[in-house]
Amino acid sequence: MNAAFLVFFVVGTIAVASSILVVAMRNPVHSALFLLLTFLCVAILFVVKDAEFVAAVQVLVYAGGIMVLFLFVVMLINVRHLPDDRTLSRFWKGGVGVGLAIFLLLATVVRTGTYHDQNPNKKLLRSTASHRVRKVTNPDGSVTRKRVVRHRTVGNSEAVGMALYQDYLVPFEVASLFLLVAMIGAIVIGKRELSAPEEETSPDFILKRMETEKDVKEAMSA
Amino acid sequence: MPEAIPSTEAYLMLSGTLFAVGLIGVIIRRNMITVLMAIELMMNAVNINLVAFSHRFASLEGQVFTIFVITVAAGEAAVGLAIIIQLYRLKSSINVDEASELNG
Amino acid sequence: MTQSYFPILIMLILAVVIGATILGLNWVLGRHQRNPSKLSPYESGVPPLDENRKRINVRFYQIAMLFILFDIEAAFLYPWAVIYRDAAQGPSGMFLFGEMAVFIGLLAVGYVYVWKKKAFDWH
Repeated sequence: MNAAFLVFFVVGTIAVASSILVVAMRNPVHSALFLLLTFLCVAILFVVKDAEFVAAVQVLVYAGGIMVLFLFVVMLINVRHLPDDRTLSRFWKGGVGVGLAIFLLLATVVRTGTYHDQNPNKKLLRSTASHRVRKVTNPDGSVTRKRVVRHRTVGNSEAVGMALYQDYLVPFEVASLFLLVAMIGAIVIGKRELSAPEEETSPDFILKRMETEKDVKEAMSA
Repeated sequence: MPEAIPSTEAYLMLSGTLFAVGLIGVIIRRNMITVLMAIELMMNAVNINLVAFSHRFASLEGQVFTIFVITVAAGEAAVGLAIIIQLYRLKSSINVDEASELNG
Repeated sequence: MTQSYFPILIMLILAVVIGATILGLNWVLGRHQRNPSKLSPYESGVPPLDENRKRINVRFYQIAMLFILFDIEAAFLYPWAVIYRDAAQGPSGMFLFGEMAVFIGLLAVGYVYVWKKKAFDWH
Protein backbone atom coordinates (compact mmCIF):
# COMPACT_ATOMS: atom_id res chain seq x y z
CA MET A 1 0.00 0.00 0.00
CA ASN A 2 1.74 3.13 -1.13
CA ALA A 3 0.62 6.74 -1.35
CA ALA A 4 -0.93 6.42 -4.82
CA PHE A 5 -3.23 3.60 -3.69
CA LEU A 6 -4.22 5.50 -0.58
CA VAL A 7 -5.05 8.58 -2.65
CA PHE A 8 -7.02 6.45 -5.08
CA PHE A 9 -9.13 4.80 -2.40
CA VAL A 10 -9.84 7.96 -0.42
CA VAL A 11 -10.51 10.19 -3.43
CA GLY A 12 -12.44 7.49 -5.29
CA THR A 13 -14.68 6.92 -2.28
CA ILE A 14 -15.35 10.65 -1.99
CA ALA A 15 -16.09 10.82 -5.73
CA VAL A 16 -18.61 7.97 -5.63
CA ALA A 17 -20.27 9.25 -2.44
CA SER A 18 -20.63 12.80 -3.77
CA SER A 19 -21.92 11.55 -7.12
CA ILE A 20 -24.64 9.64 -5.29
CA LEU A 21 -25.45 12.82 -3.37
CA VAL A 22 -25.67 14.77 -6.66
CA VAL A 23 -28.51 12.48 -7.66
CA ALA A 24 -30.08 12.28 -4.20
CA MET A 25 -30.19 15.94 -3.13
CA ARG A 26 -33.53 17.71 -3.43
CA ASN A 27 -32.09 21.20 -3.73
CA PRO A 28 -30.34 21.76 -7.09
CA VAL A 29 -27.79 24.09 -5.47
CA HIS A 30 -26.63 21.25 -3.21
CA SER A 31 -26.51 18.93 -6.22
CA ALA A 32 -24.33 21.44 -8.08
CA LEU A 33 -21.90 21.77 -5.18
CA PHE A 34 -21.55 17.99 -4.84
CA LEU A 35 -21.03 17.81 -8.60
CA LEU A 36 -18.16 20.27 -8.16
CA LEU A 37 -16.64 17.99 -5.50
CA THR A 38 -16.94 15.02 -7.86
CA PHE A 39 -15.18 16.94 -10.65
CA LEU A 40 -12.31 17.91 -8.38
CA CYS A 41 -11.90 14.30 -7.20
CA VAL A 42 -11.85 13.09 -10.80
CA ALA A 43 -9.14 15.67 -11.56
CA ILE A 44 -7.02 14.18 -8.75
CA LEU A 45 -7.57 10.71 -10.22
CA PHE A 46 -6.34 12.01 -13.59
CA VAL A 47 -3.14 13.24 -11.98
CA VAL A 48 -2.54 9.78 -10.48
CA LYS A 49 -2.75 8.36 -14.02
CA ASP A 50 -0.14 10.81 -15.37
CA ALA A 51 -2.63 13.02 -17.22
CA GLU A 52 -1.78 16.39 -15.73
CA PHE A 53 -2.91 18.52 -18.62
CA VAL A 54 -6.31 16.85 -18.76
CA ALA A 55 -6.63 17.37 -15.00
CA ALA A 56 -5.88 21.07 -15.43
CA VAL A 57 -8.45 21.39 -18.21
CA GLN A 58 -10.95 19.52 -16.05
CA VAL A 59 -10.54 22.02 -13.21
CA LEU A 60 -10.45 25.00 -15.56
CA VAL A 61 -13.46 24.11 -17.69
CA TYR A 62 -15.66 21.95 -15.48
CA ALA A 63 -15.04 23.44 -12.07
CA GLY A 64 -14.48 26.96 -13.35
CA GLY A 65 -16.94 27.28 -16.18
CA ILE A 66 -19.67 24.68 -16.28
CA MET A 67 -20.37 24.84 -12.55
CA VAL A 68 -20.77 28.63 -12.68
CA LEU A 69 -23.22 28.22 -15.54
CA PHE A 70 -25.20 25.62 -13.60
CA LEU A 71 -25.33 27.77 -10.47
CA PHE A 72 -26.44 30.83 -12.44
CA VAL A 73 -29.23 28.86 -14.07
CA VAL A 74 -30.31 27.38 -10.72
CA MET A 75 -30.50 30.89 -9.25
CA LEU A 76 -32.19 32.21 -12.36
CA ILE A 77 -34.94 29.65 -12.21
CA ASN A 78 -35.06 29.37 -8.40
CA VAL A 79 -37.91 26.92 -8.03
CA ARG A 80 -39.16 26.54 -4.52
CA HIS A 81 -39.92 22.97 -3.69
CA LEU A 82 -43.32 22.53 -2.23
CA PRO A 83 -43.31 20.03 0.63
CA ASP A 84 -45.47 17.57 -1.26
CA ASP A 85 -43.70 18.06 -4.58
CA ARG A 86 -42.39 14.76 -5.81
CA THR A 87 -38.68 14.77 -6.63
CA LEU A 88 -38.58 11.38 -8.28
CA SER A 89 -40.10 10.27 -11.49
CA ARG A 90 -42.99 7.80 -11.60
CA PHE A 91 -40.83 4.94 -12.74
CA TRP A 92 -37.97 5.45 -10.29
CA LYS A 93 -37.90 1.78 -9.37
CA GLY A 94 -37.32 0.83 -12.99
CA GLY A 95 -34.62 3.50 -13.25
CA VAL A 96 -32.72 2.18 -10.26
CA GLY A 97 -33.08 -1.34 -11.69
CA VAL A 98 -31.65 -0.31 -15.06
CA GLY A 99 -28.76 1.49 -13.34
CA LEU A 100 -27.91 -1.50 -11.18
CA ALA A 101 -28.14 -3.79 -14.20
CA ILE A 102 -25.70 -1.61 -16.16
CA PHE A 103 -23.39 -1.56 -13.14
CA LEU A 104 -23.48 -5.35 -12.84
CA LEU A 105 -22.84 -5.68 -16.57
CA LEU A 106 -19.81 -3.40 -16.39
CA ALA A 107 -18.58 -5.15 -13.24
CA THR A 108 -18.68 -8.55 -14.92
CA VAL A 109 -16.90 -7.25 -18.01
CA VAL A 110 -14.15 -5.68 -15.90
CA ARG A 111 -12.65 -8.56 -14.00
CA THR A 112 -9.33 -8.51 -12.28
CA GLY A 113 -6.60 -9.51 -14.64
CA THR A 114 -8.55 -8.78 -17.80
CA TYR A 115 -6.07 -6.09 -18.74
CA HIS A 116 -2.68 -7.35 -17.76
CA ASP A 117 -0.54 -4.42 -16.88
CA GLN A 118 2.53 -5.40 -18.80
CA ASN A 119 4.37 -2.25 -17.89
CA PRO A 120 4.24 -0.31 -21.13
CA ASN A 121 6.73 2.43 -21.66
CA LYS A 122 5.21 5.22 -19.57
CA LYS A 123 7.77 7.62 -20.94
CA LEU A 124 5.71 7.81 -24.13
CA LEU A 125 3.11 9.80 -22.22
CA ARG A 126 5.59 12.60 -21.80
CA SER A 127 7.59 12.55 -24.96
CA THR A 128 7.21 14.07 -28.38
CA ALA A 129 8.15 12.28 -31.56
CA SER A 130 9.63 14.51 -34.23
CA HIS A 131 10.50 13.29 -37.69
CA ARG A 132 13.63 14.68 -39.14
CA VAL A 133 15.18 13.96 -42.49
CA ARG A 134 18.88 13.66 -42.11
CA LYS A 135 21.38 13.57 -44.91
CA VAL A 136 23.73 10.66 -44.53
CA THR A 137 26.95 10.51 -46.46
CA ASN A 138 27.64 6.94 -47.41
CA PRO A 139 31.21 5.57 -47.49
CA ASP A 140 31.22 5.70 -51.29
CA GLY A 141 30.51 9.41 -51.33
CA SER A 142 26.81 9.35 -52.31
CA VAL A 143 24.30 11.20 -50.17
CA THR A 144 21.06 9.52 -49.10
CA ARG A 145 18.23 10.97 -47.12
CA LYS A 146 17.25 9.07 -44.06
CA ARG A 147 14.18 9.58 -41.93
CA VAL A 148 14.86 9.50 -38.22
CA VAL A 149 12.34 9.61 -35.42
CA ARG A 150 13.55 11.41 -32.40
CA HIS A 151 11.80 10.96 -29.07
CA ARG A 152 12.30 13.81 -26.68
CA THR A 153 11.19 13.72 -23.07
CA VAL A 154 9.07 16.75 -22.29
CA GLY A 155 6.18 17.68 -20.05
CA ASN A 156 2.73 16.17 -20.37
CA SER A 157 1.11 19.30 -21.82
CA GLU A 158 3.79 19.56 -24.47
CA ALA A 159 3.27 15.91 -25.40
CA VAL A 160 -0.49 16.39 -25.56
CA GLY A 161 0.04 19.51 -27.64
CA MET A 162 2.18 17.65 -30.17
CA ALA A 163 -0.38 14.85 -30.45
CA LEU A 164 -3.27 17.31 -30.66
CA TYR A 165 -1.84 19.68 -33.24
CA GLN A 166 -0.04 17.21 -35.48
CA ASP A 167 -2.09 14.01 -35.48
CA TYR A 168 -5.52 15.43 -34.67
CA LEU A 169 -5.69 18.46 -36.91
CA VAL A 170 -9.18 17.88 -38.31
CA PRO A 171 -10.91 17.11 -34.98
CA PHE A 172 -9.30 20.26 -33.59
CA GLU A 173 -10.73 22.45 -36.34
CA VAL A 174 -14.09 20.69 -36.06
CA ALA A 175 -14.01 21.50 -32.34
CA SER A 176 -13.74 25.20 -33.19
CA LEU A 177 -16.69 24.82 -35.57
CA PHE A 178 -18.58 23.07 -32.78
CA LEU A 179 -17.86 25.93 -30.39
CA LEU A 180 -19.07 28.42 -33.00
CA VAL A 181 -22.32 26.51 -33.47
CA ALA A 182 -22.81 26.19 -29.71
CA MET A 183 -22.27 29.93 -29.28
CA ILE A 184 -24.76 30.88 -31.98
CA GLY A 185 -27.24 28.26 -30.81
CA ALA A 186 -27.14 29.37 -27.20
CA ILE A 187 -27.56 33.03 -28.18
CA VAL A 188 -30.47 32.25 -30.48
CA ILE A 189 -32.23 29.96 -28.03
CA GLY A 190 -31.53 32.04 -24.95
CA LYS A 191 -32.53 35.26 -26.66
CA ARG A 192 -33.82 37.81 -24.24
CA GLU A 193 -37.48 38.56 -24.20
CA LEU A 194 -38.94 40.08 -21.12
CA SER A 195 -41.40 37.64 -19.68
CA ALA A 196 -43.54 38.08 -16.62
CA PRO A 197 -41.30 36.39 -14.04
CA GLU A 198 -38.23 38.06 -15.43
CA GLU A 199 -39.64 41.54 -15.44
CA GLU A 200 -39.56 41.40 -11.64
CA THR A 201 -35.79 41.85 -11.68
CA SER A 202 -35.64 44.76 -14.10
CA PRO A 203 -34.43 47.94 -12.35
CA ASP A 204 -37.57 49.87 -13.30
CA PHE A 205 -39.77 47.30 -11.67
CA ILE A 206 -37.74 47.29 -8.47
CA LEU A 207 -37.73 51.09 -8.27
CA LYS A 208 -41.46 51.20 -8.83
CA ARG A 209 -42.00 48.57 -6.19
CA MET A 210 -39.87 50.41 -3.64
CA GLU A 211 -41.86 53.59 -4.27
CA THR A 212 -45.10 51.70 -3.81
CA GLU A 213 -43.87 50.28 -0.53
CA LYS A 214 -42.86 53.74 0.63
CA ASP A 215 -46.30 55.08 -0.26
CA VAL A 216 -47.99 52.25 1.59
CA LYS A 217 -45.87 52.86 4.70
CA GLU A 218 -46.59 56.59 4.64
CA ALA A 219 -50.27 55.94 4.20
CA MET A 220 -50.23 53.53 7.13
CA SER A 221 -48.35 55.85 9.45
CA ALA A 222 -50.56 58.79 8.53
CA MET B 1 11.47 0.08 -10.65
CA PRO B 2 8.23 1.60 -11.95
CA GLU B 3 6.06 3.34 -9.46
CA ALA B 4 3.11 1.20 -8.40
CA ILE B 5 -0.20 2.91 -9.02
CA PRO B 6 -3.80 1.66 -8.96
CA SER B 7 -4.53 -0.76 -11.77
CA THR B 8 -6.63 -0.13 -14.85
CA GLU B 9 -9.33 -2.43 -13.48
CA ALA B 10 -9.77 -0.30 -10.38
CA TYR B 11 -10.26 2.77 -12.57
CA LEU B 12 -12.72 0.93 -14.79
CA MET B 13 -14.77 -0.15 -11.78
CA LEU B 14 -14.84 3.41 -10.47
CA SER B 15 -15.86 4.74 -13.86
CA GLY B 16 -18.58 2.09 -14.14
CA THR B 17 -19.95 3.09 -10.74
CA LEU B 18 -20.04 6.77 -11.65
CA PHE B 19 -21.69 5.95 -14.98
CA ALA B 20 -24.39 3.84 -13.31
CA VAL B 21 -25.08 6.59 -10.75
CA GLY B 22 -25.36 9.14 -13.56
CA LEU B 23 -27.70 6.89 -15.52
CA ILE B 24 -29.93 6.39 -12.48
CA GLY B 25 -29.98 10.15 -12.01
CA VAL B 26 -31.00 10.76 -15.63
CA ILE B 27 -33.87 8.31 -15.36
CA ILE B 28 -35.29 8.96 -11.92
CA ARG B 29 -34.97 12.71 -11.42
CA ARG B 30 -37.69 15.08 -12.57
CA ASN B 31 -35.76 18.32 -12.18
CA MET B 32 -34.28 19.10 -15.58
CA ILE B 33 -31.15 20.79 -14.19
CA THR B 34 -30.33 17.73 -12.10
CA VAL B 35 -30.82 15.54 -15.17
CA LEU B 36 -28.26 17.67 -17.03
CA MET B 37 -25.87 17.36 -14.07
CA ALA B 38 -26.25 13.58 -14.17
CA ILE B 39 -25.34 13.64 -17.87
CA GLU B 40 -22.18 15.57 -17.03
CA LEU B 41 -21.45 12.90 -14.42
CA MET B 42 -21.71 10.18 -17.08
CA MET B 43 -19.36 12.10 -19.38
CA ASN B 44 -16.86 12.33 -16.54
CA ALA B 45 -17.07 8.57 -16.06
CA VAL B 46 -16.22 8.12 -19.73
CA ASN B 47 -13.26 10.49 -19.31
CA ILE B 48 -11.91 8.38 -16.45
CA ASN B 49 -12.11 5.34 -18.73
CA LEU B 50 -10.25 7.10 -21.53
CA VAL B 51 -7.48 8.33 -19.27
CA ALA B 52 -7.06 4.89 -17.66
CA PHE B 53 -6.67 3.21 -21.05
CA SER B 54 -4.38 5.97 -22.25
CA HIS B 55 -2.10 5.15 -19.35
CA ARG B 56 -2.47 1.42 -19.87
CA PHE B 57 -1.40 1.52 -23.52
CA ALA B 58 1.04 4.41 -23.06
CA SER B 59 -0.64 6.33 -25.83
CA LEU B 60 -1.72 9.95 -25.77
CA GLU B 61 -4.81 9.40 -27.90
CA GLY B 62 -7.02 8.82 -24.86
CA GLN B 63 -5.99 12.13 -23.31
CA VAL B 64 -6.53 14.04 -26.55
CA PHE B 65 -9.97 12.49 -26.88
CA THR B 66 -10.75 13.42 -23.27
CA ILE B 67 -10.13 17.06 -24.12
CA PHE B 68 -12.60 16.81 -27.00
CA VAL B 69 -15.15 15.18 -24.69
CA ILE B 70 -14.75 18.09 -22.26
CA THR B 71 -15.27 20.52 -25.15
CA VAL B 72 -18.48 18.75 -26.17
CA ALA B 73 -19.65 18.69 -22.54
CA ALA B 74 -19.20 22.46 -22.27
CA GLY B 75 -21.11 23.13 -25.47
CA GLU B 76 -23.83 20.72 -24.43
CA ALA B 77 -24.18 22.43 -21.04
CA ALA B 78 -24.45 25.87 -22.67
CA VAL B 79 -27.12 24.87 -25.19
CA GLY B 80 -28.96 22.53 -22.81
CA LEU B 81 -29.25 25.20 -20.13
CA ALA B 82 -30.47 27.70 -22.74
CA ILE B 83 -33.19 25.21 -23.67
CA ILE B 84 -34.08 24.77 -19.99
CA ILE B 85 -34.40 28.55 -19.52
CA GLN B 86 -36.61 28.86 -22.57
CA LEU B 87 -38.77 25.94 -21.43
CA TYR B 88 -39.10 27.54 -18.02
CA ARG B 89 -40.32 30.76 -19.62
CA LEU B 90 -42.85 28.80 -21.59
CA LYS B 91 -44.19 26.58 -18.83
CA SER B 92 -42.97 28.11 -15.53
CA SER B 93 -41.71 24.67 -14.60
CA ILE B 94 -38.51 22.71 -15.12
CA ASN B 95 -40.16 19.37 -14.67
CA VAL B 96 -39.17 16.82 -17.30
CA ASP B 97 -42.66 15.35 -17.37
CA GLU B 98 -44.17 18.70 -18.37
CA ALA B 99 -42.32 18.76 -21.67
CA SER B 100 -44.21 15.98 -23.35
CA GLU B 101 -45.92 17.66 -26.32
CA LEU B 102 -44.00 15.52 -28.80
CA ASN B 103 -45.11 12.42 -26.96
CA GLY B 104 -47.72 11.21 -29.44
CA MET C 1 6.51 11.46 -11.63
CA THR C 2 3.32 11.61 -9.60
CA GLN C 3 5.57 12.12 -6.59
CA SER C 4 6.08 15.74 -7.60
CA TYR C 5 2.42 16.38 -6.70
CA PHE C 6 3.01 15.38 -3.10
CA PRO C 7 3.19 19.01 -1.86
CA ILE C 8 -0.23 19.70 -3.38
CA LEU C 9 -1.62 16.68 -1.56
CA ILE C 10 -0.18 17.96 1.71
CA MET C 11 -1.68 21.38 1.00
CA LEU C 12 -5.10 19.82 0.38
CA ILE C 13 -4.93 17.82 3.60
CA LEU C 14 -3.83 20.92 5.53
CA ALA C 15 -6.68 22.95 4.07
CA VAL C 16 -9.24 20.34 5.11
CA VAL C 17 -7.69 19.94 8.58
CA ILE C 18 -7.56 23.69 9.24
CA GLY C 19 -11.10 24.25 8.05
CA ALA C 20 -12.43 21.34 10.09
CA THR C 21 -10.46 22.46 13.15
CA ILE C 22 -11.78 26.01 13.06
CA LEU C 23 -15.37 24.94 12.55
CA GLY C 24 -15.04 22.13 15.10
CA LEU C 25 -13.55 24.37 17.78
CA ASN C 26 -16.32 26.86 17.17
CA TRP C 27 -18.86 24.16 17.65
CA VAL C 28 -17.22 22.65 20.73
CA LEU C 29 -16.28 25.84 22.58
CA GLY C 30 -19.11 28.14 21.54
CA ARG C 31 -22.41 28.32 23.32
CA HIS C 32 -25.37 26.99 21.42
CA GLN C 33 -28.20 29.41 21.76
CA ARG C 34 -31.08 29.45 19.36
CA ASN C 35 -33.43 32.33 19.85
CA PRO C 36 -35.27 34.18 17.09
CA SER C 37 -32.95 37.18 17.03
CA LYS C 38 -29.87 34.93 16.87
CA LEU C 39 -31.24 33.11 13.87
CA SER C 40 -32.27 36.24 11.98
CA PRO C 41 -30.07 37.27 9.04
CA TYR C 42 -28.70 40.43 10.73
CA GLU C 43 -28.69 39.99 14.48
CA SER C 44 -28.52 43.66 15.39
CA GLY C 45 -29.33 45.15 12.02
CA VAL C 46 -32.45 46.09 10.19
CA PRO C 47 -34.87 43.29 9.39
CA PRO C 48 -34.54 42.32 5.72
CA LEU C 49 -37.01 44.01 3.43
CA ASP C 50 -37.39 41.12 1.05
CA GLU C 51 -36.45 37.49 0.57
CA ASN C 52 -32.79 36.80 -0.07
CA ARG C 53 -33.41 34.19 -2.72
CA LYS C 54 -34.24 36.59 -5.48
CA ARG C 55 -34.26 35.55 -9.06
CA ILE C 56 -31.16 36.83 -10.83
CA ASN C 57 -31.11 38.41 -14.24
CA VAL C 58 -30.82 36.25 -17.35
CA ARG C 59 -27.86 38.43 -18.43
CA PHE C 60 -25.66 36.55 -15.97
CA TYR C 61 -26.39 33.32 -17.80
CA GLN C 62 -25.46 34.78 -21.17
CA ILE C 63 -22.17 36.14 -19.90
CA ALA C 64 -21.33 32.83 -18.17
CA MET C 65 -22.21 30.90 -21.31
CA LEU C 66 -19.90 33.02 -23.46
CA PHE C 67 -17.23 32.71 -20.78
CA ILE C 68 -17.30 28.89 -20.96
CA LEU C 69 -16.97 28.79 -24.72
CA PHE C 70 -14.00 31.16 -24.73
CA ASP C 71 -12.60 29.31 -21.71
CA ILE C 72 -12.38 26.19 -23.87
CA GLU C 73 -10.59 28.22 -26.49
CA ALA C 74 -8.04 29.29 -23.88
CA ALA C 75 -7.63 25.67 -22.80
CA PHE C 76 -6.78 24.76 -26.39
CA LEU C 77 -4.32 27.63 -26.59
CA TYR C 78 -2.15 26.44 -23.68
CA PRO C 79 -0.56 23.35 -25.29
CA TRP C 80 -0.25 25.23 -28.56
CA ALA C 81 1.68 28.02 -26.86
CA VAL C 82 3.89 25.45 -25.13
CA ILE C 83 4.92 23.73 -28.34
CA TYR C 84 4.95 26.75 -30.66
CA ARG C 85 8.13 28.30 -29.34
CA ASP C 86 10.24 25.32 -30.29
CA ALA C 87 8.34 24.54 -33.46
CA ALA C 88 8.55 28.09 -34.79
CA GLN C 89 12.14 27.53 -35.83
CA GLY C 90 11.42 24.22 -37.48
CA PRO C 91 9.53 23.37 -40.65
CA SER C 92 6.18 22.88 -38.87
CA GLY C 93 6.09 26.45 -37.57
CA MET C 94 3.91 27.87 -40.32
CA PHE C 95 1.69 24.79 -40.20
CA LEU C 96 1.01 25.27 -36.50
CA PHE C 97 0.46 28.98 -36.98
CA GLY C 98 -2.05 28.46 -39.79
CA GLU C 99 -3.86 25.78 -37.79
CA MET C 100 -4.35 28.08 -34.83
CA ALA C 101 -5.23 30.99 -37.13
CA VAL C 102 -8.12 28.97 -38.60
CA PHE C 103 -9.26 27.99 -35.09
CA ILE C 104 -9.24 31.55 -33.78
CA GLY C 105 -10.73 32.83 -37.03
CA LEU C 106 -13.75 30.55 -36.71
CA LEU C 107 -14.26 31.62 -33.11
CA ALA C 108 -13.83 35.27 -34.12
CA VAL C 109 -16.81 34.83 -36.44
CA GLY C 110 -18.82 33.77 -33.41
CA TYR C 111 -17.44 36.70 -31.43
CA VAL C 112 -18.55 39.17 -34.09
CA TYR C 113 -21.97 37.52 -34.23
CA VAL C 114 -22.37 37.76 -30.47
CA TRP C 115 -21.24 41.39 -30.58
CA LYS C 116 -23.76 42.24 -33.32
CA LYS C 117 -26.51 40.51 -31.33
CA LYS C 118 -25.63 42.84 -28.45
CA ALA C 119 -25.18 39.98 -26.01
CA PHE C 120 -22.31 41.86 -24.40
CA ASP C 121 -24.44 44.91 -23.62
CA TRP C 122 -26.00 44.91 -20.22
CA HIS C 123 -29.04 46.96 -21.16
